[in-house]
Amino acid sequence: MNRVESMLLELKDTSEFMIDLAYSSLLYNNSEIAEEVVFLETKMDELSSKIQERIVSIGKEQPEEIAKLFVILRLQMAVEDIANAAASIADVVLRGLGDHPVIQMSIQESEVTIKKATIAGNSILKDRTLGDIRLGSHCGMYLIAIKRGNQYIYGPDKNEVLREGDVMIARGPEEGADFFRGLADGSEREI
Amino acid sequence: MNDTEERMSLDRINMTVQELLTEMKDKSEVIVDLAYASLMYNSMDMAEKVSGLEDEMEDLKYAVRTKVLLAARTMEDAKQFSGILQVASAADRISHAAGEIVKLLDVPLENRPFITNIINESDEKIRMTRIMPNSDMAGNTIDHLAVEASTGTKIIALKNRQGWIYDPDESIKLRAGDDIIVRGSEDGFDRLVKFASGQMPWVFPEEYEEGEEYEEDEE
Repeated sequence: MNRVESMLLELKDTSEFMIDLAYSSLLYNNSEIAEEVVFLETKMDELSSKIQERIVSIGKEQPEEIAKLFVILRLQMAVEDIANAAASIADVVLRGLGDHPVIQMSIQESEVTIKKATIAGNSILKDRTLGDIRLGSHCGMYLIAIKRGNQYIYGPDKNEVLREGDVMIARGPEEGADFFRGLADGSEREI
Repeated sequence: MNDTEERMSLDRINMTVQELLTEMKDKSEVIVDLAYASLMYNSMDMAEKVSGLEDEMEDLKYAVRTKVLLAARTMEDAKQFSGILQVASAADRISHAAGEIVKLLDVPLENRPFITNIINESDEKIRMTRIMPNSDMAGNTIDHLAVEASTGTKIIALKNRQGWIYDPDESIKLRAGDDIIVRGSEDGFDRLVKFASGQMPWVFPEEYEEGEEYEEDEE
């Protein structure tokens, strides 16, 4: 994968993550999470500009690549638009317009729900890495963020170790939510 | 045709704002998955489904606007509702972006070789597999299997004897020979393939017991 492609990959992954974060900020009417979306949006803008500059300079040197470069540009613009949509959702929260019950209910009732769970002292998830427990493939719940004390860890990677008291915010199907909570509160003993 | 359209929009009017918004949120997520999948599998058919969803989103957005405007009585209502309208517009905007993505199908394949790479390397993978006759998945509905909760992969399309079904209803029964396209993590997909190929018995949620051994991710 060349440099432009890697940048486009990062753009795509970030845009999808931003959507999850944006809906989470709305569900919990949480402006800290909404701020993170806005922060990612500025990073997306920078990355988008870099991609476009790169496309132009490659196009100058290799005009035969123009058709391909144009596809990259179109994809980049579509992905950026997804990110902008996420930011406009977060903006609702930041303007203080996100606490209407209809909004919260509409996310709760969604096929892809967002759930919170706190790691209890006797949870089998405690002191284990995300890569080790692989929540996603065992209950369909993917971690969007962890709140540790006053700090958020957004999009935690697989080396992140879960600690007692961590609040996990995860996205997944309703059917996976009970098991997810059970693992966190210590009532589920097997993963 | 006109009758059906009329009835559909009336149905929407009978939905609550919350139901409309939930549907928009759900569709905004699946439409992006389907858009990338259509590029990955070079499927015009799937791209048409995306365009269909895009039109539906537009209708839903108008239905939300209509209902919300009818409900506003006070300044406070109006402020609160503007947030709802913004969310509906954002979901609609996502669907338009998905519509732009599928338009790339018109570009000759040789000019978009990297798209498959990018989708393959994404955090969210899109993969296809087949349900084998000896798989426990055969003969069960998506709902009963709780496919996503059990594997972390969501079925976004499936091909059975009738043809392709996109964003299939949870009540659809999977059968031997069906091809399924899923979205999720690589690890979840590896697990799904073991179930789909019949290598591993399905663990139904209510009878969840000691897990099997799974190999660690490479890398």
